[in-house]
Amino acid sequence: MASKDQSKRKGTPQIAIIGNPNVGKSTIFNYLTGLNQKIGNYPGVTVDKKTGILQIQGESFEILDLPGTYSLFPNSEDEIITHRILNNPELEKRPDYVLMVIDSTQLSRGLFLSTQLIDLGVNLTILLNMADLAAGKNIEIHSYELFKQLGVPILQTDARNQKGLEPIKKLIHQRNFARAPQFLDILKVVPPLILDLVKEKFELENHYQAYQMIRFGAKDKSILEKKRIWLAQVLEENKFNLEEVQLEETKIRYKKITDLVTKALTKKSSPKAKSSLDKVVLHPFIGYLVFIGVLLLIFQTLFSWASYPMDWIDGFFADVSGRVLTTFPDGPLTRLLAEGVVPGIGGVVIFIPQIALLFGFLAILEDTGYMSRVVFLLDRWMRPFGLHGKSIVPLVSGVACAIPGVMAARNISNWKEKMITILVTPLMSCSARLPVYIILIGLSVPEEQVFGFINLQALALLSMYLLGVLGVLGTAFLLKVILRTDEKSFLMTELPSYRIPRWKDVGFTMVEKSKTFVFEAGKVILAISIVLWGLASYGPPATMEEIRQQGMIQQEQATSPDQLALIDAETNSLLLENSFIGIMGRAIEPVIQPLGYDWKIGIALITSFAAREVFISTIATIYSIGGDLEDDLTIREKLATQLNAYTGEKTFTPATSYSLLVFYVFAMQCMSTLAVVKRETKGWKWPMIQTVYMSALAYLMAFITFQIFS
Amino acid sequence: MTANQLTLNQSGKILEISSSPLKINLMELGFLPGKQLTLQHRAPLGGPLAFQLEETLLALRKNEAELIRIEVLY
Repeated sequence: MASKDQSKRKGTPQIAIIGNPNVGKSTIFNYLTGLNQKIGNYPGVTVDKKTGILQIQGESFEILDLPGTYSLFPNSEDEIITHRILNNPELEKRPDYVLMVIDSTQLSRGLFLSTQLIDLGVNLTILLNMADLAAGKNIEIHSYELFKQLGVPILQTDARNQKGLEPIKKLIHQRNFARAPQFLDILKVVPPLILDLVKEKFELENHYQAYQMIRFGAKDKSILEKKRIWLAQVLEENKFNLEEVQLEETKIRYKKITDLVTKALTKKSSPKAKSSLDKVVLHPFIGYLVFIGVLLLIFQTLFSWASYPMDWIDGFFADVSGRVLTTFPDGPLTRLLAEGVVPGIGGVVIFIPQIALLFGFLAILEDTGYMSRVVFLLDRWMRPFGLHGKSIVPLVSGVACAIPGVMAARNISNWKEKMITILVTPLMSCSARLPVYIILIGLSVPEEQVFGFINLQALALLSMYLLGVLGVLGTAFLLKVILRTDEKSFLMTELPSYRIPRWKDVGFTMVEKSKTFVFEAGKVILAISIVLWGLASYGPPATMEEIRQQGMIQQEQATSPDQLALIDAETNSLLLENSFIGIMGRAIEPVIQPLGYDWKIGIALITSFAAREVFISTIATIYSIGGDLEDDLTIREKLATQLNAYTGEKTFTPATSYSLLVFYVFAMQCMSTLAVVKRETKGWKWPMIQTVYMSALAYLMAFITFQIFS
Repeated sequence: MTANQLTLNQSGKILEISSSPLKINLMELGFLPGKQLTLQHRAPLGGPLAFQLEETLLALRKNEAELIRIEVLY
């Protein structure tokens, strides 16, 4: 035991922050660590590990923010992490100290977890947070009485209003934590014989640790298999009913807590009036109108605000590319830098405005307490499709961009519901599809009014969005039948009191999410975009060289600037057609012919795997449309006159255009989403499955569309 | 009767939580025998129910509320 304690003391002391969900843990974590935060991984799970460094008078402390939990009994992946960190004796390093944050208006619930921690024997301090709310509800907590009864230091704080936070640093610096005497005598619930046996086998410190090991050790894969089997055997030999014991513990513990709370808390009669805001927000009809209103407001702001920084980023990276080309001598390395690496980084950075803004809005909705109301309103509508009320956030975000949507899915605790949400979210028509839709609809749908007032093109655009939603629901339903899990789906959520958002924490969320995306998904995106660039810029050297020579000869004979530009565009088109991607495009032609595409469109399909909007720039290059890409009309007019290389008929017949439209509704065609899904599911398995199923669905739907219209 | 059978604004006292894998989750949230709850909101089409339990408003699905056996108070 002594040696174990010594190994813990080595290095920076680690302090874990723990508490129920929504008690202000993150505010305290942000206060202590500032922007000095790091997000890492726990092995084997998708939960993020948030740590930060606190410096007090030259001394460093590592602060670990644990996921919110109601007890040490792990139900979700989040709770398993908390359980494992505090409880697994085989972990190299357990936290030296624990800060337990309690919502003062929910004293009993907070004490449930606190007293479990006490029984585990952790070095503990309790923070009674949300003092302002408690005061508002006429609740008075006698912290000295609590301290006397529990034997751990107690501090009252009001993190939201930044009150009482300074003393936290002081108490950490003075290491003012305590191992309190056992709160609940577990020997009354579990036969001492088994507890002693387990305690000895796992070299545990006390009987409660042994009890926790009995309860969950057999399932915890971080424990050696040999020991797990031994544990299972012992339990079976003793005919041990795990659930019964746990219920018994819960009952006794809550009873003791109720006794304690009666002594430590006075409550002057507080009327439990229904919040008048909730009468509107949760109204079975008006509530939904409010929700739609909030959505419209968010998207309105999102689209109008995000476009400016996105344009700047676009311009900035184009500028850098240009400077690289003019500054360095022309050569493969310069081209790699200017045309591969710089646009690749730009392709990552371009997503930051949308991610930051969307998560800013989500943080505001979460913090005001509105988000859990949305979950309440929509759960019933989501469930038939194997989704959870919480799935609404990712799906709605998907209309702007699937990336923040997929990132937001982590709030769903049930594995199956989370996976379905992640897998279907990219089917929502995101903003990157919009330019593709607009060009193709402009090409194939006449600008006419039906019934005198409905614009046919607008109707077509709306249909694309609806098609995406249908795809989401249909696929989700199928996945519900296919995916298997033992986890029970449940919705037990607090609808917290309405509050003013904590702007600082909103800001932290925006920074944190953007950082996560750039550093974790960014690598994959950059790598794929460089590969795609390489394939599009290089081809069999002899052919490529010949095209360049031809181009140069023609340019010398050119008489006007217009002619020069035309020759330039034609050369670029030829180069792309003969590059490796061009060769690939020709190779897949037999596969895409039934969809109504020729090999030129095939090339665009391959390049636009980077991002859907690349389809347009590729098409523009292939059909040698030089000049201003922003001008939809030029592209449209040019495309309308293109002839199919083989049939001699128009390439973009209505059937082909419809087929392409439908293809882009369903196809994955976004490496950034792929990278984020890989990041969120911690592996390549699910992003691969997703790409395959979405491509297959896109192919099938495009095929059907083409056959119907041709 | 069970908690989902309450009418809006009706209160009941919890008698017992029926056996279920979710029993422990409900107890952790504070649904304990002897406590009083009031049905405050009902999402349409058999959607979730929101109960006032002491100081908190808690949302449960119908099949979860069915696990809470109660007697009507007023």
